[in-house]
Amino acid sequence: MDDKESRLVELVLSGRKEAFEPLVSPYRSLLLTLAFRLSRNVEDAKEISQETLMRAFRYLGSFDRKRSFKNWLLQIEMNVWRGRGARTWDERTLHELATRDAADGPEEKLAEAEVRRKLLACLQGLSPREREVFLLRDIEGRSIKETAEVLRLSSLSIRVHLSKARGKIRMLVKERFPGLMGEGR
Amino acid sequence: MTCSRARKWIALHAGGDLHSRRARRLETHLRKCAGCRAELEEHKSILDAVRGIAGRETLDWSETEWKSLMAQTTRKRPEAVRLPPLAAFPKRAWAYGSAVLLLAGISALILRALISPPAPLPVSEKMPPTPLPSSRPLPGWTAASAAPARDLPFRIPSEQKAIARTAMAARPADGKPAQDVLSLTLVSQETGLRVHWTFNRNFEWEEKRR
Repeated sequence: MDDKESRLVELVLSGRKEAFEPLVSPYRSLLLTLAFRLSRNVEDAKEISQETLMRAFRYLGSFDRKRSFKNWLLQIEMNVWRGRGARTWDERTLHELATRDAADGPEEKLAEAEVRRKLLACLQGLSPREREVFLLRDIEGRSIKETAEVLRLSSLSIRVHLSKARGKIRMLVKERFPGLMGEGR
Repeated sequence: MTCSRARKWIALHAGGDLHSRRARRLETHLRKCAGCRAELEEHKSILDAVRGIAGRETLDWSETEWKSLMAQTTRKRPEAVRLPPLAAFPKRAWAYGSAVLLLAGISALILRALISPPAPLPVSEKMPPTPLPSSRPLPGWTAASAAPARDLPFRIPSEQKAIARTAMAARPADGKPAQDVLSLTLVSQETGLRVHWTFNRNFEWEEKRR
């Protein structure tokens, strides 16, 4: 946690509520996007992000300032998502996602949406834990250590889940969409 | 390295998540194995595709939504810090506690071994060493000499005393014993331990030769 964030936390805890917005503002897109990647639904993503921010404000006093504030927020969001049941995506959600951008776009967007739909269908084959690890490490770009901190797992456990997730996705892509690898590049 | 071992590591290696030492071993294998190289390339392609597609989908709040959300979030005050009941203890309290209990147990065992009296010895260990037979000639065997002294810690059974008296009485005039074997049983008055001695003629003859 940097000095600026530390000062903002102090201000919020001393009663200056307006300091909360600059504290969480750098992560507002990150939280919403991650929630969307987990739930694959915009409305659910907004609810998850809102609950995350409310919990962060409520429990800010128990935040350990030696830790990363961003990782703390991500950890809360993962807990919120799990608390909502960590649902797997249904076909309707995948279709909605695939056509979300394509509805009013050119032909290229239709093709991209189809590729995205196929890839997301492969991610559906992962367990909730594997999906969390895969999203944080491979899509959000968190390091193994950061992923372990967010999910409260050991680095070894993260590597095991990550290896399984990548192996499953490779098998699913090969079985279901053999031409997908060329399209994704 | 075998291909089956390499395949366990390839998925991690594709994203650069393998420890450096393992990565070097895997690279050595990959230089020789075309099948594993192809698998690694597949993993990398899929990861690139997923990252590329996912990287283009970012969501954000509209400013109106964000302002509304912040107003709603900060309506109350943050809760005061409440430590859970076990938070006051150090993180490894259970380990320290176990170590203290283990040390206390070991100390108790050592103290008990030092303070408690030794276990009673078995009866066989209480026996005095068997006295060697005397090399001197036997003293004159009279009824008076055969009588037990008052301060002896053992007693001679009465029937044995009678036998001894009979043997002494049957002794011929030349002083040689009238029997070949003389046996003697001593019984301790404290512990009841019995010691049986047997003397034969040869032993006496040899003594006499001295």
